[in-house]
Amino acid sequence: MSELLFYAMAVIALLGGLGVIFSKSPMGSVLSLLGSFFALAVIYLLAGFHFMAAVQILVYAGAIMVLFLFVIMLLNLGGMGTRFELSAAPLTRARSQIAAAVAAGVGLAGLIAVQRASLPRIAQGGAPERIDDINQIAIALFGRYSLPFQAVSVLLLTTMVAVLVLAKRRTRESGQ
Amino acid sequence: MNVPSEHLFFLSAGLFSLGVLGFLVRRNVIVTLMCVELMLNAANLAFLAASRMHSTPEALDVQGPVFSIFVITVAAAEAAVGLALVIALYRLKQSVESDSASEMKG
Repeated sequence: MSELLFYAMAVIALLGGLGVIFSKSPMGSVLSLLGSFFALAVIYLLAGFHFMAAVQILVYAGAIMVLFLFVIMLLNLGGMGTRFELSAAPLTRARSQIAAAVAAGVGLAGLIAVQRASLPRIAQGGAPERIDDINQIAIALFGRYSLPFQAVSVLLLTTMVAVLVLAKRRTRESGQ
Repeated sequence: MNVPSEHLFFLSAGLFSLGVLGFLVRRNVIVTLMCVELMLNAANLAFLAASRMHSTPEALDVQGPVFSIFVITVAAAEAAVGLALVIALYRLKQSVESDSASEMKG
């Protein structure tokens, strides 16, 4: 049963990815991407990553998507009407066949690499029900990975300052 | 769920190549950024699949989730800076098509 749900969600995630590329309006792309993220969150749940599924919903669907929607609405790019339309126009442009070939090559290389690698079998009795134990994640984050953790906090501060500088409307008084 | 790890990696490869395709063929900068998010998600899925593959009920492998958390944080930072750049581009060119900024093309 859960296997069936996994494959259904995998198809939805891939269809969402296609929708991002071939949707006519940026709004349609955002909604397709949202569908893809939700499908991935369900896959995380099924695979035993309950905390990561929650983080996926909160950060991706909750924060990043809202940021995208906010910018699309701010710049008024939503387009007229609310119909979700697909268009193959991106693929008919000059040189986009090369891009499609590159993407297909990347995907194929990944598939072949996975196929050829002798992945260790999952231990008898299947994978554990719950893999991302929050206690263990916290111990890893504040122990072994405390340096990257602090680097990421510096990155976030830098990002905050950079976004303020980039997005601030320059007035005549400020001299630039 | 009794799905082999390969299938999780296959899904990851598929999502990543879709992201690459969109990144290369779309001109709209916002959609390009979304395709980068798609690629980062595929990377997350691969990290988690590897973690699942190496976990046993006695010894859980939490490195996958830890790296996923880092990737998600960097993705959020990247989205914020990218969208600020989009806003700056729009102020300059009144357009979000990447073709509109081609002065440095040579």
